[in-house]
Amino acid sequence: MNRIQETFLRFSFLMAVLLTGCNQSSTGDKAQNATDKKLVIGVTMLSMQNEFIVNVHDEIAKKAEAAGIELITVDAERSALKQIEQVESFIAQKVDVIIMNPCEVEASSPAVTKALAASIPIINVNSETSAKPTAFVGSDDVESGRIAMRFIAEKLGGKGNVLMMHGYMGQAAQIKREQGAREVLKQYPNLKLLAHQTAEWDRAKAMSLMENWIQSYGAEINAVFAQNDEMGLGAVKALTDASLKDKVVVVSIDAIPDALQAVKKGTLDATVFQNAEQQGSKAIETAIKISKKQAYDKETLIPFQLVTKANLSQFLK
Amino acid sequence: MENPVQTPSRPAQHSYNSRIKGLGQYGIVVAFFVICLILALTTPKFLTLSNLTIVVTQVSINALLAFGVTFVIITGGIDLSIGSTVAVTGVVAASFAHPDTYPVTVPLVVGLLAGLGLGAFNGLIITKSKVPPFIVTLGTMTMGRGLALILSKGRPISNLSDSFNFIGGGNIGGIPTPILILIVLFVICSIVLKKTVLGRYMYAVGGNPQAAEASGIHLNRIKMVVYTLCGGLAALAGILLTSRITTGQPNAGAGFELDAIAAAIIGGTSTSGGTGTMTGTLIGALLIGVISNGLDLLNVTSYYQQVVMGIIIIGAVVLDSLNQNKR
Repeated sequence: MNRIQETFLRFSFLMAVLLTGCNQSSTGDKAQNATDKKLVIGVTMLSMQNEFIVNVHDEIAKKAEAAGIELITVDAERSALKQIEQVESFIAQKVDVIIMNPCEVEASSPAVTKALAASIPIINVNSETSAKPTAFVGSDDVESGRIAMRFIAEKLGGKGNVLMMHGYMGQAAQIKREQGAREVLKQYPNLKLLAHQTAEWDRAKAMSLMENWIQSYGAEINAVFAQNDEMGLGAVKALTDASLKDKVVVVSIDAIPDALQAVKKGTLDATVFQNAEQQGSKAIETAIKISKKQAYDKETLIPFQLVTKANLSQFLK
Repeated sequence: MENPVQTPSRPAQHSYNSRIKGLGQYGIVVAFFVICLILALTTPKFLTLSNLTIVVTQVSINALLAFGVTFVIITGGIDLSIGSTVAVTGVVAASFAHPDTYPVTVPLVVGLLAGLGLGAFNGLIITKSKVPPFIVTLGTMTMGRGLALILSKGRPISNLSDSFNFIGGGNIGGIPTPILILIVLFVICSIVLKKTVLGRYMYAVGGNPQAAEASGIHLNRIKMVVYTLCGGLAALAGILLTSRITTGQPNAGAGFELDAIAAAIIGGTSTSGGTGTMTGTLIGALLIGVISNGLDLLNVTSYYQQVVMGIIIIGAVVLDSLNQNKR
């Protein structure tokens, strides 16, 4: 048994060496006539369980296929450690460009450093790392907070009482969306932040929190800013149950299908759309430019868009 | 001094013991009313009919879960999978609850069966394999979460019928339905525990398994029933939650198991098995709900809420262990 295993191991090792050898020589051949060289791009995504991330990746894959690029996609399953290992493996495979959707700001940084040390260009998509990559494509979460709060300010004519629901405290999205909202609040001295509290991105928790707030502030409430749609919809449910929805403006972020339906019904006043397709397509476009040594943007910011009943039709699929 | 139990002959010590024991039994009730009093004095919004109605409505989901887990803990077990069961049953029920598809009984029955199934699965593995319930239900917890994601394809299931949404969002004679469901199940669970043979067997299995077996109780059979029952109650909680937020969420109920276990323990259910009451658990759940509501009313950040909750849980367990030393 042991011997068989050993033989098998040796055999597979031999095969691996041979195959890698072949592979390298073939890339060498191709490099000589650069025109028909097939580009290889390694992609590591934060989590393929997340609808938004999957949409970003689908666009990358679509564009890559159209351009005849070979794509190697791996799922980091939210683990920065795994992501670093995946990038190391991309480096070993000598891919032309790496596209990384970082798991964490700090913990995914070594992946960027390692790729650059191996002189392989690396593009961060959707979120940032503290180490500077070759290029960044994504959206600035601070802007989404600004857009949402600005909508409230305009709806209320710059005057009124606002409540804010946080996501998980300390997460990048929570910090940035709060920062954006507070920047706008500062510009409107008559807009008062009555209370702010976390509902952990969760619809049920948001509903309970809103019920408690209604008890506490009742008719004083003029608007609610929820940092994601799930919480926004929870707030809408509680306000509707208390027959207060007509008097309170509710805005949230993400433009998930449920939220778009709520905007259509008029229960949710607005949501903020983050463009997955554009993030994906810009990422792959930048990757192609870099590999062809063309001029490229070091930072591509895809703007967020406010979704209200007026422009809803563009977003409903 | 370190262990006062060993000196019971001293009369002063004895009265100290019985006083502590008394506090252990009624301490939770006293603590509950003291906290309510403090909240009533600090915020005028607390002691109003509408606010108290909301607190009890919010508590109902955790209370149902806590009733189930109380059964399990009394038999000396634990169930960590109930939060995931909430998600699975919610998603399953929601899939059958779209308007103009099935009558409202279908999502109810299918959801309930899903919960009973998961509970029975726990019971089966625990009794057949002798693997500690902690490990088995930890596995079911992870598995259940995956199942909920698979069944819902990772997306919330919305657009549910009005009759389904009535279960957790309606009211009968001005009383919200979750409160009515809570009362009915509290009465049923109390009767099962206190007045039936099954209930007495549960205490026996948890209090002294050897003696219980010697007196002819089938330990495995009781455990099987208890875990299935717990799954069923978790299913009802899942259906209630889904109906309340009018959507089936694959990530609903994360961490609910800990709140439910906390409610049972705060209410005096001993983690070593053999003791506990439904009244205690109900008060435990109400206490958690009142604190969470009160701190929201007082606009205290959730960081402090968690610290307060932690202190109360530890306090309850310390009281419980002091109590046990006295026996």
